[in-house]
Amino acid sequence: MGLLSIIRKIKRKEKEMRILMVGLDNSGKTTIVLKVNGEDTSIISPTLGFNIKTIAYQKYALNIWDVGGQKTIRSYWRNYFEQTDGLVWVVDSSDVRRLEDCRAELHNLLREERLSGASLLVFANKQDIQGALKPSEIAKVLNLEVMDKSRHWEIVGCSAYTGEGLLEGFDWLVQDIASRIYVLD
Amino acid sequence: MEEHTAATVSTNPKHQALIDRLSTRRSSTPATSSDSARQVADFLASFASTKLSIEQSLSECRSRADLDQIAASISSLEQLVAQNSYHLPSYELRSCLKSISDLRSAFDTASSGLLPRKKFSFRNKAAKKDEEPKNVDQSLEISIKPSENDKRSNLSVRDGPGFRNEKDETLVKDFRLCDIGQGDFTLSDLENCRVYLKGRVRALFFNRIRNCQVFTGPILGSVLIEDVTDSLFMLASHQIRIHQAKATDFYLRVRSRPIIEDSNGVRFAPYRLIYEGIEEELKESALGEETGNWANVDDFKWLRAIQSPNWGLIPEEEWLEIVDISEFKE
Repeated sequence: MGLLSIIRKIKRKEKEMRILMVGLDNSGKTTIVLKVNGEDTSIISPTLGFNIKTIAYQKYALNIWDVGGQKTIRSYWRNYFEQTDGLVWVVDSSDVRRLEDCRAELHNLLREERLSGASLLVFANKQDIQGALKPSEIAKVLNLEVMDKSRHWEIVGCSAYTGEGLLEGFDWLVQDIASRIYVLD
Repeated sequence: MEEHTAATVSTNPKHQALIDRLSTRRSSTPATSSDSARQVADFLASFASTKLSIEQSLSECRSRADLDQIAASISSLEQLVAQNSYHLPSYELRSCLKSISDLRSAFDTASSGLLPRKKFSFRNKAAKKDEEPKNVDQSLEISIKPSENDKRSNLSVRDGPGFRNEKDETLVKDFRLCDIGQGDFTLSDLENCRVYLKGRVRALFFNRIRNCQVFTGPILGSVLIEDVTDSLFMLASHQIRIHQAKATDFYLRVRSRPIIEDSNGVRFAPYRLIYEGIEEELKESALGEETGNWANVDDFKWLRAIQSPNWGLIPEEEWLEIVDISEFKE
């Protein structure tokens, strides 16, 4: 993050943060966003395209871009990279078979230069499903420790179904972004 | 001067100096808001003129080459919006996105008029997509190889409950007789099998199914189906995703819109299953009512206004009779 972009942030009256939610299809991205926003999560169709939600969170306005994860539309993720402050990578912790895909897609994404300044929150979702892998196991499979020196990251177990862990995750993300961007507070 | 005050006040002089400089800078540029307003106005003007020129070329377009050009302009316009979305007020952003989706549907109309089967441009894109990740994968494998092996073995130990590698069998599972119902269940590498799953389960995964018939009770979460051929599925679930399916019939009850991707020859009809206690189970799973969504299929490989050639509805006279699986016991 260069000085110019810091200045640009300071100029903004609204304390906005731009959050990009991505991950494989069926991981629960849309459900997480709706749950955090207190909306009904009982009827959600697989996302064709993307949803944008602005959520007031603590004293910040989170501008959340929830982008569909089906294979066909993953190549469009790159259209949403610009100005991303925080990246949320959502994992279906019960989908053991596709964890390799999940890891490849994540590392592919993290190579992107436009995302190099973004904090990374990994949600190990579906912890309410019996037999789901624990966050520590997911971290190991996704090989997250390779980023220890290059990026701020955190993994949090959650359930979009019960809501458990969601606020803990967003608290970390918002704090981490704020400490980088709004140094003047 | 800034540095001087900073040194006396703060324990971290550099940091303080930065802050002072920033705030001086801020106060010396009061024109900020008009600046960004002008930026937005500039963007909107260039957006409007690009949009106009695309509309014009759409109305004049006569050949495939024209269409490709237009498709490229639309997608670069979309990218421009995404890049500028940070500065744009939300109303402007939404109206820009709306304009783009209007352009796309106008494009679809134009191209379907011009070329009845224009799967071509999709192929083009798909080919490009495939190329990139491949390179990436190779470099990935090299860099992460050492840890790969222990990971794999680690994972295979953790295979969850399911039916795997079966041939010519009748497979029955009753989730009411075990505690798997709160977890997920996997069916993979099955050939010539009949599968009956009774009771409720949280999630189902299907992978590599050949010439099978599968009947299940309600699924509370989602179903993910990959690589199935010449089979029949009867499922009730909150979400259903179908990938790489060929020549397969789906009898569904689903709360949201089912989707298909990389599939063809798949057909849909409503869920018609009974066994002892299924009515209550469906009701408790919020699947008691027919939603009609079994017919509202989205094909991610066919994002156009006209009907996808990859799927269709099973004519009513061909529907299976109501299927009663009460007699099958675990």
